[in-house]
Amino acid sequence: MCEVIKEMNEMSILMHILSKKRSTHQIGATEEEILDILNVKNKNKSIYLQNLITGLSNYLVPLGLQIKFNSLNSHWYINSDSEITELISANPFEGRPSLAATLLCVLTSCLKNSGSAPIQEIRKLRNKKEIMSDLKELEKEGYLIINKTTYQVQLTPLIGYKLDLHKLLVNLSLKLKE
Amino acid sequence: MEGIDFSEEINKKIGVIKDGVLSGKINLLNLELNPIFSDIKDSLSIFNIKNYSQSYVNACELLNRKFEELRNLLRSLDIEKKFMDFLKEKPSKEEIYDIFNGCWNCNFELEPLSINFLEYSVNRFCKENTIDLRIEHLNKERSDYQFLLEIPRLKFTEKINEFFDEIRNKLPCYFEEVFENEEHQIRIYEKFVYLLHLLQLGKIKYQKETNTLYV
Repeated sequence: MCEVIKEMNEMSILMHILSKKRSTHQIGATEEEILDILNVKNKNKSIYLQNLITGLSNYLVPLGLQIKFNSLNSHWYINSDSEITELISANPFEGRPSLAATLLCVLTSCLKNSGSAPIQEIRKLRNKKEIMSDLKELEKEGYLIINKTTYQVQLTPLIGYKLDLHKLLVNLSLKLKE
Repeated sequence: MEGIDFSEEINKKIGVIKDGVLSGKINLLNLELNPIFSDIKDSLSIFNIKNYSQSYVNACELLNRKFEELRNLLRSLDIEKKFMDFLKEKPSKEEIYDIFNGCWNCNFELEPLSINFLEYSVNRFCKENTIDLRIEHLNKERSDYQFLLEIPRLKFTEKINEFFDEIRNKLPCYFEEVFENEEHQIRIYEKFVYLLHLLQLGKIKYQKETNTLYV
């Protein structure tokens, strides 16, 4: 009985910390933070965490939720599964194609320059002179940070939460094949 | 369980998938194979294992093929180049917008999830879950003592007697009255244990009908 209560307690806490939005671009928690909150100290703590996450994941699947890992900031978090995502409009740039286009150019430039994107290069990729209003809007929404001194842009981990990069690459490949 | 054998259905299902893959209708990378392995696992028994072994082989073939496709995809991924190639074509903002179709995630953020209870739970857990259970082999040690553990028999008896002296003047009284001035749960429990011992020793008696303790 005590073990069941302990497990339920852990699951509730895990659910809470994985669904907690701490800032515009920080949701969930890292492995270290989870283990610290659950006070797990034994030598097999990683296996223990994996078991916990698998356990919670099994509870969440029927609810249309899944646990995911954001490799940009090593955070575990909870996501709606693809069926639910299709039902509700998850596109944060609905009706704002200009922002989506600028974001893709930032992403491309960041990939090319290992993290930072010079604004001049984004302008070139976007094939548009006036992109500052887009960049400022994207910054306001938490997707990037503009460094006014170096005139460069850096993506925040938010893109790791919001965007399925694998699907985007598949779409790109298909488009290029056309 | 004895009569259950879904191997034929599972093999048929795998066959349909294989045909679909060969005809290009099914992309293995978009197909979940977990349900097939779950079907095998959930209905496997000693009675059908002979037929199921072939189903398992077929399912593993499918999984291998999926791995192969994934390997090919990874090999073909030259991420940065793909993005550049696409942007070199100078696509319109609408075309770029369309590329993102179906790529957005919907994160689950539930701030008001019984927040007070969970915050309390987190703090409490942190303080109280400090026991790290380990099973360690003990080394045998030579000892001149016969008993390693000291049994404080006399001390416990003294405590019982002390409790008896404390309540003696109250008796006879109702059962609850013995604990009435005590608020601390652990202390109440301790006194209750002493009372049980006193009842067993016959120093105190209890009348169920009137809920009374007496000497």
